[in-house]
Amino acid sequence: MKRRNFLERAAVTLVSLAGVAAAFSYLRQFFPRLAGEKKRIVLGDYRKFPVDTYTFLEGHNIFVYRDHEGIKAVSAVCTHLGCILEKSTDGFECPCHGSCFSDVGKVLSGPAPRNLSWYEVYRAADGKIVVNPSRTVGPGEKFNIS
Amino acid sequence: MENKGTPVNTGGVEAAAERKQRTGRITRNFFLHMHAPRVHIHAMKPSYTFGLGLITGFLFLIMLFTGVILMIYYTPSVESAYRSVKDIVYIVPGGRIIRNMHRWASQGMLIVVWLHLLRVFYTGSYLGNRSLNWVIGVVLMILILLSNFSGYLLPWDQLAYWAVTIGSNIAASARELTDLLGITVAFDPGGFLKKLLIGGETVGQPALSRFFAMHVIFLPLSMLVLMGVHFWRIRKDGGLSRPAVFAGEKGAENKLYAWPVLMWTELAILLGVVAVILFIALVADAPLLEEANPAFPENPAKSPWYFLGIQEMVSYSAFAGGLLVPLLYLVFLFSIPYRDREERYVGVWFSGAEGARVTGRSAVFALLLVIVQLFVMERFGWLRDWFPGISQWLVMLINPATITGLCFILVAEWIRRNHGSTRLAAMGLFTMSFVALVVFTVVGIWFRGPNWEFFWSVNQWPVQ
Repeated sequence: MKRRNFLERAAVTLVSLAGVAAAFSYLRQFFPRLAGEKKRIVLGDYRKFPVDTYTFLEGHNIFVYRDHEGIKAVSAVCTHLGCILEKSTDGFECPCHGSCFSDVGKVLSGPAPRNLSWYEVYRAADGKIVVNPSRTVGPGEKFNIS
Repeated sequence: MENKGTPVNTGGVEAAAERKQRTGRITRNFFLHMHAPRVHIHAMKPSYTFGLGLITGFLFLIMLFTGVILMIYYTPSVESAYRSVKDIVYIVPGGRIIRNMHRWASQGMLIVVWLHLLRVFYTGSYLGNRSLNWVIGVVLMILILLSNFSGYLLPWDQLAYWAVTIGSNIAASARELTDLLGITVAFDPGGFLKKLLIGGETVGQPALSRFFAMHVIFLPLSMLVLMGVHFWRIRKDGGLSRPAVFAGEKGAENKLYAWPVLMWTELAILLGVVAVILFIALVADAPLLEEANPAFPENPAKSPWYFLGIQEMVSYSAFAGGLLVPLLYLVFLFSIPYRDREERYVGVWFSGAEGARVTGRSAVFALLLVIVQLFVMERFGWLRDWFPGISQWLVMLINPATITGLCFILVAEWIRRNHGSTRLAAMGLFTMSFVALVVFTVVGIWFRGPNWEFFWSVNQWPVQ
C-alpha cells in the first residue's frame, strides 16, 4: 500500500467513524433518561376510603378497594391501549375498545393482551397506608389492616 | 378544467420570436422551470389527472399560510395550549376562519391525496421509470398522515389527549408480541418507539413539545423538500404518463406551451381550491372538545375519521390491527412498482377491460369478506367469547384484520397465476385492501358507539 493510499483510506475511515459517532449521539438526544421506578402513593388514613367500594385515585390511575378486612390496589389503565377503565357491576370495563376484566382483573373479553396489575399495599413506619406501584402482587391480594 | 380561449399551438405558424418568448418565461425562472416549456396534450386532459396532485399541492400551500398564523398565537404548553386555541377562535380577528381553513384543508389534503394515489395506481403511472416517484409519493402520503396525527394533539382537548394516548400505545403494542415471546425485558422495540414519540410513559408536556416541533418544523420541511423532488421527477421521467400510442413520438404537434396554457389553468385551479376551502371554513367550525382530562376518556373515544379504520382494527388486537397489518400494507404500496413491471399498461385506465373486470370483482369480494366477518363478530362473538381462556397468540393472529389480509394475499396470488399478469394481481390486491380500509373506516365512523359496541345508528346509543 502506498503512503498516499494509506492516508486517504485512514482519513475516509476516521471521518466516517466520526460521522457515525456524531449521528449516534445526536439521535441519543431523543431518548430522555426516565426513572424506571414509579413513585409511591401515600394514602394516609385508610378510614377515609368508603367500605366495600372502589375509589379512583386521580393522577395515579389506580383503583383502591377497601372492605372491613383490608385494602387492595389495582391499575385502572387498560392493558390494551391505555384508556382509563370504568368500574362495572362485577369487574372493569374499557370505554375505548370494550375490553372487560373480572373483579380480580382477569381479561374476560375484548382485545386486552394482559390481566390488570395489582399493586403492593403496606403500612409505613408512621402508620400511614402506602401503595407501591413498582411492585405487583397476586390478583386481588389484600393488605390486612388489623 | 377547459382551455377555452387560450391559444393552441398551430405548428409553425407562430413567429419564432413569440416561441422564444414563451419558452423563455419557463427557462428563465427557477420556479416556473418546474414545468417543461411545452407539455403534451394528453397531460392536459382533465379526465386523466383531474388535477389531483396539483390540488394537494395547493392545499399544502393553504396549510402553510394558515399554519404560520396559528403558530404565532398558539402556545405549546400543557397549561395554556387549550386556552390559546380558544383565544385564536374567540379573540384573534378572523382567527376562527384561519383555524377552520387549516382544519378543512388538512382533511381535504388527505382525501385528495388518496384520490391522487388511486388515479396514479389505476392508470399504471408507477410503471417504467416512474417507480421512484411512486415511492416518493407514498412517503409524502405517510408524512401527510403524520402531520394530521401530530396536529390534533396540539389543541389539548379530550380528542387530542385520548387519540394520542391510544396512538402512542399502538406504537408500543409491539410489546404484545415481545411479551408473548417473553423477551420484552431484553428487547423492547415498542417501548423504544413510544419513548421516541411522546418522550415518556404517558402523554404530557414532553409529548406536546415533541408533537409541536414535529408538526411545525420537521414534517412541513420534509414535505416541502419531497414535494420539490416529486414535481421535478415528473419532468425528469418525461412528463405525466401517457398511453403507449403516444410513446416515443417526437413531433411538436401534440404539445402545448406551458406558458400560458397550462399556467392559467393552474392558476384557475388554485383560485378554485382557495374558494372552496374558504367557503367550507365559513359555514363549518373545526371541532374543539372540552380540555384534556387524563382521568376520564370520552366514551366512545374516537380518533379523527381518517384513523377510524385503524381504530376498528386495533379493537381486535393492538399489535395485529395497529402495526402488523398497516405495515404490511405499506410494504405492499412501496413494492408495487418493483414487483409489477408490465409497462404495456402505462396510461390506460384499469389496464383495459380485463383489468376493470378484475378490479370490480375484487372490490365486491373484499366488501363481502369484511362484512361477513363483522357480522359473525357482532352476532356470535369472536374467539375470546367462545373460549374464555384462549391464548393471546390466537387473539392476535386470528381476527378480521389478519384473516382479511391473508385472504387478499392468497387471492392476489391466484389472480397472478390465473391471468398470468402481475399488473392484474397488483390491481386486485390494491382494490381489495382499499375497499377493506374503507369498510373498516365506515364501521368505525358510523357503527361504533360507547365501549366500541356495534350500533346501527347514534340514536340507539344508551343515554348516560
